[in-house]
Amino acid sequence: MTSLSSVKNHSRRNFLKATSIGTGGLMISIALPGCAALKNGGMNQVDGQEQWNSNAWLRIDSDNSIHFVLDRVEMGQGTYTGMTSLLAEELEADPEKIDVSFAGVDSIYRNTIYGIQITGGSTSVASSWQIVREAGAATRMMLIQAAANTWEIKPNDCSAENGQIINNTVGHPQQGQSLSYGQLAGIASTYSVPSDIPLKDKADFKVIGKYNKRLDALKKATGTADYGIDTELPGMKYAVFTRAGRWDSQIKNFDASKLKALPGIEQVFAINKPSAIGIAIVAKSYWQARKAQQQLKVEWHESELDKVDDASIFAQYKKDLAEDNGKNVRSEGDIEYALEDAAHTISDEFEMPFLAHATLEPQNCVAWAKPDSLEVWAPTQSPDMAQVAAAKATDYSLSDIKINTTFIGGGFGRRINQDFVAEAAAISEISQQPIKLIWSREEDTQRDWYRPSSYHKLSASIDKNGNISGWNHQMAGSGVFDYFVGEAAPAQYPFAPKFMYGFLESAGKIGEGIIAPADGSIFEGAEALPYDFDHINVDYKKSDSGILVGNWRSVGYSHNGFIVESFIEQLAQNPIVKQQGKDSYQFRYQLLNKHPRAQAVLKMAAEKANWGTPLEGCSQGIAIHKSFGTWVAQVADVSNDALENGQIQVKRIVCVVDCGQVVNPDMVNAQMEGGINFALTAALYGEITIKEGIPQQTNFHDYQLLRMNEAPQIDVHIIESDEKPTGVGEPGVPPLAAAVANAITAKTGQKFNKLPLKLS
Amino acid sequence: MINLTVNGIEHSLDVEADTPLLWVVRDFLDLKGSKFGCGAGLCGACTMHLNGNPIRTCITPVSAVAGQAITTIEGLGNPDKLSSVQQAWVEHNVPQCGYCQSGQIMSATALLASNPKPNDQDIDNAMSGNICRCGTYPRIKAAIHSVANKSATQNSDLFTNASVIKSMESK
Repeated sequence: MTSLSSVKNHSRRNFLKATSIGTGGLMISIALPGCAALKNGGMNQVDGQEQWNSNAWLRIDSDNSIHFVLDRVEMGQGTYTGMTSLLAEELEADPEKIDVSFAGVDSIYRNTIYGIQITGGSTSVASSWQIVREAGAATRMMLIQAAANTWEIKPNDCSAENGQIINNTVGHPQQGQSLSYGQLAGIASTYSVPSDIPLKDKADFKVIGKYNKRLDALKKATGTADYGIDTELPGMKYAVFTRAGRWDSQIKNFDASKLKALPGIEQVFAINKPSAIGIAIVAKSYWQARKAQQQLKVEWHESELDKVDDASIFAQYKKDLAEDNGKNVRSEGDIEYALEDAAHTISDEFEMPFLAHATLEPQNCVAWAKPDSLEVWAPTQSPDMAQVAAAKATDYSLSDIKINTTFIGGGFGRRINQDFVAEAAAISEISQQPIKLIWSREEDTQRDWYRPSSYHKLSASIDKNGNISGWNHQMAGSGVFDYFVGEAAPAQYPFAPKFMYGFLESAGKIGEGIIAPADGSIFEGAEALPYDFDHINVDYKKSDSGILVGNWRSVGYSHNGFIVESFIEQLAQNPIVKQQGKDSYQFRYQLLNKHPRAQAVLKMAAEKANWGTPLEGCSQGIAIHKSFGTWVAQVADVSNDALENGQIQVKRIVCVVDCGQVVNPDMVNAQMEGGINFALTAALYGEITIKEGIPQQTNFHDYQLLRMNEAPQIDVHIIESDEKPTGVGEPGVPPLAAAVANAITAKTGQKFNKLPLKLS
Repeated sequence: MINLTVNGIEHSLDVEADTPLLWVVRDFLDLKGSKFGCGAGLCGACTMHLNGNPIRTCITPVSAVAGQAITTIEGLGNPDKLSSVQQAWVEHNVPQCGYCQSGQIMSATALLASNPKPNDQDIDNAMSGNICRCGTYPRIKAAIHSVANKSATQNSDLFTNASVIKSMESK
């Protein structure tokens, strides 16, 4: 057993702390910056005392093993590999020899205080770039110091290489000998973390920008990676949960009389808790529970959503936006003057649909309620919001709830909302035994926290010479913040008693944009319009549809990438503008004159795709969008023959990305490929429709996902850069639909105001 | 009781006849590599081999496959002894979230066992029943081609699990 024997107060800008562990090893605690929006740096102040907020741990044991425990989750985006690469670089260790695990399993990694921890917003590598490297470098320096003291030589006469410290002192009796990190860990653990930690020069990198493997590929190719759904506990039972079609409906009554006699059925009971309203069936096997569900009869109360459908939702957006413009999120120049004074104006409207996440691993959760504690195993993107959700759904207090995370079979933002955890916790508490809750695909599709639908109105002013003078973008839709603040706000105040949660949720909602970050889920990507116009105005009118909404891969950028790049294309194709003789690429390029990185990305995309010379039988479209600090430009080649047959077939996507310095180039390629196929699914098929308050799609026959025969060739090019790294998990998504739509428009003249793309 | 032969090993199980093979393998035999995705045969995450052919086990009642040869991802290889397809998956960094990949690998293995040199069209035909939400399709295709391009692929490369090979030889 490893136990904490002493905690030393050695800190380096309060981000690193060294601890010795009972078995002669060394532990470095690391405070990674979290989801910047919601977390208070690395430190919290409690009663005037600085409290630790570490969320990653580097442990070197005397047996020479190196462990890196991460409070981040791996859902495919490569965090597992990227973070380990950063550490290995400075530590001088083989990344494949570092054992990586997820935090939360071992209580020594849990701290009394932590802010909100979300893996999301493409932040992991971007936010941890500096600190993880510093942790590796500091540890290496301490190990060198330990070796120098052992040999009684200067640290400068030692070098670190591949998990060893080597004695380079000419003429020293131990010259050329080495000591392993494990041998030195115990000594190093008695030292302070150095105050000055120089990092390697780029020219000396061995791992960063070079290491090209995925550390989790072996497990995932052999079926040995444990996802949430694979969790097994002794005596565990299986649960299914019947929810209303409308998420806010309350239970009127239910009839389970036919279920009692069915094989394997142990319990049937109702639950009415926040984020967990429905009837639970607990059985010996999953199939028994699922089959019995067909014979369960439930009546639901009427709901405010009974009369809500897409038409009523969009009518509401339009009405609300017509009443007032809402919040101005960007204003430059004088848009009213520009539009009134213009020789010409063009205007258009766009409607974006709700989208489901469709993670291939359906929502699931294992919970084990014991007399004085509740333990949860969950594929969640936010363990401490999961903890709050479990607390709200049960009588357990936050400190009695332990959350274990697992590999995640796709996140895309779905697993920031914790309803599956709330349900499992509530079911186990009542059932008084460990249970595994598994959602069916139909349940997963119909009870998602969708990418919000939204309505957009744009206009632009054109002078008589074809110059664009003004851009006006106004939009309406639900904000996603309101739909997770109920878990997020209490997670920031873990000592708050449960009766405060309602207050914290309200305070969070009121404080949105003031003490909490502004909710950009509808307007981000619109307000940051990169094109150089004299008059720019962007307004957002919050208009709540009542439908559950959440973060969906690239969030607000997911629709604004399409809308901005579609409307820009309309401007480029406008006959008056066209008199200037610029094509879609040149038009964008000159208007990006204030963003040299954008111009470089766009230029390379045009070059690599042979812009102007489509693949044989194809038409081309181009688009560029910045999200999460990363510029991505894409050129789509779309088959003309298929268009003539009424089909959209994308032959090739050329993608250029500038994400600053690259940690793992192949991981960047993979995220662009994945983002493109994810976005192409949305462009071709993605649409959740609402009828009488109920989401209508159920499974992959009516909520289609892209398949291999539809997947285009994808060529990714990465811009060489010395800039700070930025995200890659999401930025491949936003420009894609516009690039494809613009290619179709180039061939057929049809313009698209809605997604998914439907040929007329 | 239902008799089931999974990865060359025989089992006798007390399970309801209509239980889908997927849940029997996952929860009664504790082989967790095969995944549940849709329950309707639409995504392929649950793919196993029945007498060498890929089937969707989330919709296959266990009674329908009693006594026949079933192979799961665990029957191909293991982390210490990868099958050729698994090896190609690792070399091409195919997995992202990884959840669909057991099913993808089962479909790819069945394809290569029957068609050692598939072209793009063959691969599209064989693999389009397997959804990858992370969009790893270009790498899946490249990995399959790389196996095909190696010297004549043998069953002993596609399956390294000893009991599976033995049961294949006995047929």
